[in-house]
Amino acid sequence: MRRFIGIFEKHSAALIVFGLVVAFGSTSTGTFATGSNIENIARQISLDAPMVFGQAVVLIAGGIDISVGSTMAMAAAIAIGLQPYGTLTAVAAALLFGLAVGVVNGLLVTRGRIVAFVATLGTMSVVRGLLLTYTGQRSLSGQDPAFAWWGGGQIGPVPVSLLVVLALLGVLWVFLGHTREGRALYAIGGSKDAAFLGGVSVDRGLMVAFSISGALAAVSGVLVASRLNSASVQLGADAPLMSISAALIGGASLLGGKGGIIGAFFGVLALGILNNGMNLLGVPTYSQIAIRAMILIAIVAIDALGTALRRRDLAQGRITQ
Amino acid sequence: MVDTVSEAGLAQSTLQRAPGNSSGSARTRWYEPLRNHTALILLVVLLIAGSLTSDVFLTPRNLLNILWAISILGIVALGQTVLLLTCRFDMSVAAVVGFAGIVTVLAQINGFGIYSSIAVGLLAGAGIGLLNGLLVLLTGANPFLITLGTNLLVYSLSLSLTQSKTLYATIPAFNVLGRGQLFGFLHVSVVAFFLLALVLEFLLRRTIFGRTVFVIGFNEVAGRFSGLRIGATKLAAFVMCSSLAALAGIIMTSRTNSTVANAGFGMEFDSIIAAVLGGTSLFGGRGGALRTIVGVVVLGVMNNLLVLLNVPTEAQQIAKGSVFLLVVWADSMLRRN
Repeated sequence: MRRFIGIFEKHSAALIVFGLVVAFGSTSTGTFATGSNIENIARQISLDAPMVFGQAVVLIAGGIDISVGSTMAMAAAIAIGLQPYGTLTAVAAALLFGLAVGVVNGLLVTRGRIVAFVATLGTMSVVRGLLLTYTGQRSLSGQDPAFAWWGGGQIGPVPVSLLVVLALLGVLWVFLGHTREGRALYAIGGSKDAAFLGGVSVDRGLMVAFSISGALAAVSGVLVASRLNSASVQLGADAPLMSISAALIGGASLLGGKGGIIGAFFGVLALGILNNGMNLLGVPTYSQIAIRAMILIAIVAIDALGTALRRRDLAQGRITQ
Repeated sequence: MVDTVSEAGLAQSTLQRAPGNSSGSARTRWYEPLRNHTALILLVVLLIAGSLTSDVFLTPRNLLNILWAISILGIVALGQTVLLLTCRFDMSVAAVVGFAGIVTVLAQINGFGIYSSIAVGLLAGAGIGLLNGLLVLLTGANPFLITLGTNLLVYSLSLSLTQSKTLYATIPAFNVLGRGQLFGFLHVSVVAFFLLALVLEFLLRRTIFGRTVFVIGFNEVAGRFSGLRIGATKLAAFVMCSSLAALAGIIMTSRTNSTVANAGFGMEFDSIIAAVLGGTSLFGGRGGALRTIVGVVVLGVMNNLLVLLNVPTEAQQIAKGSVFLLVVWADSMLRRN
């Protein structure tokens, strides 16, 4: 039984994806498993995925990033708003902005010694203010048709944005699993004290994690801006909840030190398929919001119960993996 | 119950603190007396700045208006203060503010009297608090994320109850709560805010419940070993926080005799800012209800000044966030000394 729970915990996201596919495939009478719908899902999740990857990296390092939503929205606004200065400049500025927010978050957590979610709650508020001021609460629209290719175009049958996501997936997989810096993040998330005593620079690791999260949130923002060819202040309102839910479904833990990038991808996929399926089945918007909320509550609760279980095992001298 | 203190993610590494920084205890630093009164200093600075830059700022009318404007947020912040003292948060107050108003108005539409409809609204709020508390206590999960989830859940409930429309109260006398004035100048909601703060301060300082709240924030394990009723007190704190948010929502509804689902938008954040600004620590165990009054007033004065100085409303969000970060930073710096 314990073994079974362990297997489920490790691959829960993939199992959930499989279950959802079977469930929707059998109930939605031929609309779910069509080529155009699969492409739809692929497009939708590829906009959210970079942000979730960033959230997963921060969670692995034992932090949390609440500011991803407003960073994403601001990056989208910059990518659209600065297009008169050249699309490339605009995109570069957007990505740099995200990186800057990440660096500020990292500094607040490492130098300021502020707890991660409080610090990022603060930057979320400031960035949201910047966004409101910059856009004047109006929505901006793009001028460069070539820019729309990144979010809307496709190479063969594959959306470009999905290719971007897969490239990011590869890079992050190598980074987290096969580089010194990446392994350090797991050590920090597992135990800061142990990592510190083991010669890992905790502050540096946290700076790296938050910078990655900020930059990747901006990537999501640029992709969304490109997809919609516009940006508004409403973007990213539910992003903190969504990204944390997806990362937790993907095997990350709020206590840090667990999870991976492939799990995070399956987490986004699970949420994407769920949203898509609920839309196909005509579930009312209010109920959809309620279902998303209950999923988050359930995941957070399961995460906490799992941790408590492991603690008890440790206390009783049983080692579980 | 498997709830543990470090669950809140607030446990900070002890090994990494800079060594040799503990010499401050021998002699008192010059800022020592001011240390816990950042908000009062800020208030004085803001008042001076306001009187210099604007003619209307220091008029009784404007000051009373500020108090009226902040009293609703103030009541929410009082509840948040209790929870913060136990080292926990409630992000669902924003949705509860809207929800309680909606339930009250729906009760009136369905024939309830003024008092019974208010009671139903308050009970609805208390129910959400109970749900929050039970979820957090039974699973030991992070209260921040759990209440973020219930916030969304309650919001969707409000949306489906109102079908995203504005609801209007049917009892005319209901208006007194939000718009009524004592002696012709003091708003009922302001009086309610101050009275509640006084009652809460008494509860926190002079009752077993209050002392237990502080103990949970300081050292929960010690409290448990001392035989204090930790679980019940935590549950009570959650219920209290939601009930006060519900009361704020009902008063807010009575101001305009109408309510919408997102009436409390942003209040979860603002109430935490106000409480922390007043000097209630984010790490539990330090603070109080009277301090929160100061915090809320500072926030109100700041907003008022920004409006009088014609700063765009959008930029006020930046000011609020920056002040929050500054205060939190100061809080964690002071805690380490």
